[in-house]
Amino acid sequence: MSTSTIAAIGTALSNSGISIIRISGDESLNIINKIFRTNKDIKPNNIVFGKIVNNDKVLDNVLVSYFKNPSSYTGEDVCEINCHGGVEITKQILELVLENGARIAEPGEFSKRAFLNGKMDLVQAESVIDLINSKTRTESRIAINNLEGNLSKKISILREELIELLAHIEVSIDYPEYDYEEVENDNVIKILNEKIEQLNKIINTYEQGRIIQNGINVVILGKPNVGKSSLLNKLADYEKAIVTDIPGTTRDVIEEKINIGNVVLNISDTAGIRNTEDVVEKIGVQRSIKKIDEADLIIYILSATENITDEDLKILSKIKNKKIKLITLINKMDKKEKLIFDTIMDKLKEINIENVLEVSVENNFGIENLKLKIEEIFNTSDLDFEHQFIITNSRHKDLLKKAVVLLDEAKKQIYNGQPIDIVYIQIKDASDNLGKIIGKNISSDIINKIFEKFCLGK
Amino acid sequence: MSYTLGEYDVIVIGAGHAGCEAALASARLGKKTAIFVINMETVANMPCNPSIGGTSKGHLVREIDALGGEMAKNADKTFIQSKMLNLSKGPAVHSLRVQSDRKMYHIEMKKTLENQKNLDLYQAEVVEILLNDQKNKVIGVKTKIGALVTAKSIIVATGTYLKGKVIIGEISYESGPDGVFPANDLSQSLLDIGVELRRFKTGTPARINANIMDFSKMEVQYGDKNIVPFSFENEENEEILNKKQVNCYLTYTNEKTHEIILNNLDRSPIYSGKIHGIGPRYCPSIEDKVVRFRDKERHQLFIEPLGEKTSEMYIQGMSSSLPEEVQIQMYRTVPGLENAKLMRPAYAIEYDCIDSTNLNLSLEYKGISGLFFAGQVNGSSGYEEAAAQGLIAGINASRKIDNLEPIILDRSQAYIGVLIDDLVTKGTNEPYRMMTSRSEYRLMLRQDNADLRLTPIGYDIGLISSERYSKFLDKKNKIDLEIERIKNTSIKPSIEVNSLLKKLNSSELNTGVKLSDLLKRSELNYNNLEGIDIDRKKLPRSVVEEVEIEIKYEGYIKLQLEQINEFKKMENKKLSSDIDYETIKGLSLEARQKLNKYKPLSVGQASRISGVSPADISVLLIYLSQNKK
Repeated sequence: MSTSTIAAIGTALSNSGISIIRISGDESLNIINKIFRTNKDIKPNNIVFGKIVNNDKVLDNVLVSYFKNPSSYTGEDVCEINCHGGVEITKQILELVLENGARIAEPGEFSKRAFLNGKMDLVQAESVIDLINSKTRTESRIAINNLEGNLSKKISILREELIELLAHIEVSIDYPEYDYEEVENDNVIKILNEKIEQLNKIINTYEQGRIIQNGINVVILGKPNVGKSSLLNKLADYEKAIVTDIPGTTRDVIEEKINIGNVVLNISDTAGIRNTEDVVEKIGVQRSIKKIDEADLIIYILSATENITDEDLKILSKIKNKKIKLITLINKMDKKEKLIFDTIMDKLKEINIENVLEVSVENNFGIENLKLKIEEIFNTSDLDFEHQFIITNSRHKDLLKKAVVLLDEAKKQIYNGQPIDIVYIQIKDASDNLGKIIGKNISSDIINKIFEKFCLGK
Repeated sequence: MSYTLGEYDVIVIGAGHAGCEAALASARLGKKTAIFVINMETVANMPCNPSIGGTSKGHLVREIDALGGEMAKNADKTFIQSKMLNLSKGPAVHSLRVQSDRKMYHIEMKKTLENQKNLDLYQAEVVEILLNDQKNKVIGVKTKIGALVTAKSIIVATGTYLKGKVIIGEISYESGPDGVFPANDLSQSLLDIGVELRRFKTGTPARINANIMDFSKMEVQYGDKNIVPFSFENEENEEILNKKQVNCYLTYTNEKTHEIILNNLDRSPIYSGKIHGIGPRYCPSIEDKVVRFRDKERHQLFIEPLGEKTSEMYIQGMSSSLPEEVQIQMYRTVPGLENAKLMRPAYAIEYDCIDSTNLNLSLEYKGISGLFFAGQVNGSSGYEEAAAQGLIAGINASRKIDNLEPIILDRSQAYIGVLIDDLVTKGTNEPYRMMTSRSEYRLMLRQDNADLRLTPIGYDIGLISSERYSKFLDKKNKIDLEIERIKNTSIKPSIEVNSLLKKLNSSELNTGVKLSDLLKRSELNYNNLEGIDIDRKKLPRSVVEEVEIEIKYEGYIKLQLEQINEFKKMENKKLSSDIDYETIKGLSLEARQKLNKYKPLSVGQASRISGVSPADISVLLIYLSQNKK
């Protein structure tokens, strides 16, 4: 079977540093031979200097490395072109590669091939994809942790303990007359409860994982001229790390990604906010409520110079009722009018609004507090990412959840007085689901366990 | 000197549990069959424990019967104690086991062979397998005294006889089990025709005279009051159901026993390195058990009679290869065995066997047309495992002659399918024992429904008579109708109903329910609901059992059927035998080699080969979908 040869830009597209174009597949070297001029031989695991040429026109001086299958990242023939960054040049070289026989790689396709070629296990492959897509340092640390097998290790231990339980049950079935310790229902329940708790702990990290990976969806609301766009600009300034999509791709919704501490804020529909038009008024209460539904966090801005209106209060109550996380900013504290400020605070208290911060966006006052507040609310500041792993992959979460449901069902069956062989079916199914995360087959494991742990025979 | 003894369709080498089933199946399918045994007194011998069945092995026996094999019937004729194990552990793992009268088992099976049409039984040692000029097809065999016998198919079922070597302490000598001659020459012939051989080991405990035992120091182990016959055809056989049973006994080793063993370990051939063969983990010798589980203060020993007309007792749990004098000391530490004299000492036995991964799922050897292998020579252990393979080899050897597709049972159809797939696809590094834990779909593979699963297949093969088949259809019909009736019977919350439920510790009804809903409650069963099931007719026990299980576990059965569907999807993705896996890009090096060696029939089978990873399977699936286009 021959697979097509794929290519993609392997580094972030920017105007500085070096860019790498990676090519993988049978045709890799042929393509390089067509577009690369050098005096040296291209040998596996070597880097050679030369020029990329298009119809005798030199595009760039580059370094080319060649990895022969199976000793490459994907397990196929791989060539990498290190060129001199620059969005235009990099794109031109990629296009040239594509013209000469490669096709553009789908997202994660290099890792997929690495997985298919047995170069890495499933969790590792998925982590690489996560790593590629990671936007913050925290995120990449999690991906690296998973890549190094922390998740696999943890799941393996959990699964191992279930397999021990299964082996114990199997022994009681296969060797009914032997004097091993009987499988007591109480003990099975105890083990099941333990595992369910541990699994749930892992599952709960998914929400954090999702936030870390996908960012916090933030909607900034407020009447005109309260400082929405200033806040956005200030936040964007703050880390000087606005991540935008690669030019040329189109999306329906423009997203602004702002790196704050450990997480990314996705501020959606920023165009609308940047417009000086009054969002609340323009799209109406109904529409803003719809926006509210999509948000993980709403930053609602009031001004210390302007009276809070019934409409403000109505929207704030709605947000509160929907239990969406909310930070209310009272902006322009530098110009505050005491009477107005006091009224605002009173009215907010009346409807039990918490997390009220006093800021002055213009004077850069209180922004640090806002950042800390966000971290506090999403509990992202105190996680020990070096040692802890977080699940970020929905496939993993679904399998873990399935395992919990099955273990719970097993418990129910014990209470219902079902025989142990029936209970066994669910526990085994749960272990199988954990096995799917790390790509293991369970049956031989149980049998090995039986002979390791129990003394049996004629 | 040689002469021609005869011309046959099928030759079976060895008349143990595999050989007997193979020969009977082939003869019953109309093939002229010859079966050879080194010593006529060892036909269907039980050189180890005098029992048939047990967990998962009992399932195999029921399946053999459902397909038209002999083991179950012979066990029913000759058992002296019967027990259904695991009754408290769920319907899928109920397992039947009998203690057999070893001598009678041999006599009855030999009689069956003698009386079988198309079958000739010979005492002779086969020393050579003869191939055609191209060396790719069998044409016959030669015996030690020079008889030439031609055949179209040959089934090798040599058990532990191939280059058998008995080891007791520092002493070892060439021998088959029970002091019978080993088959020394056939190994070389197999090597000559290209069959790979390896060496396994097993062992057996001593036999001790019951007359010197003190049973008052042991616990009595009784048989069941309600006997369940092995054969579906004996379900209503009064003679079997009312058979008088004998007792077994339970006793234990103690610290003194263990001390003697540990003090003499240097004299054990396993620990001194004298034994090279690989022994089974599930059949460890007492030395192994004491060494590996030092914390255990005592080990169980079951004392089992060898038959009704002998006082020899089998000491299950105490196989050993220590020197005889150490054995004597060791056995005498056991309560009740203080005066023990060993009628036959415990021994270990090494033997040649093949690598079962060189077989096709039909049990035919890859590359040699018409050469089949069955039983312990394939690296399995146990009478039942042997018989199951014998039956399948016998069926396929004769189908081969008629150019019919081989019978291959898959893992969702039968324990026999699990057994053969494990041996052929996964291979084994130790004598392979059947276990319920090896089956993924055991809720479907119950011992009670073996006939429902397999008798139609047995009928198609030609081993089930039309008389038996129509009885089977009648039973099946009764089951279906009764399930239908129970599902459609409404039970209203009357005083009568609720008082019965209360009596049975079951919650009372407020609204009407179906009878099947009540039957699903774990505290209720078919029998204790009789009082409120007015329309019930008297049905055979086996029908009731089936109805009850099908309804009680309906949800789980459904779940398992879904899993089987998933499994079948992969089994149905067929891989042609002429695929060259070397040319498939993306397969790991190991997978390419393994797949080219095994030539699996399906992606499902490929996924069970060790060394073929889930990633390799993804590659195969991609390969298949691309080739379709």
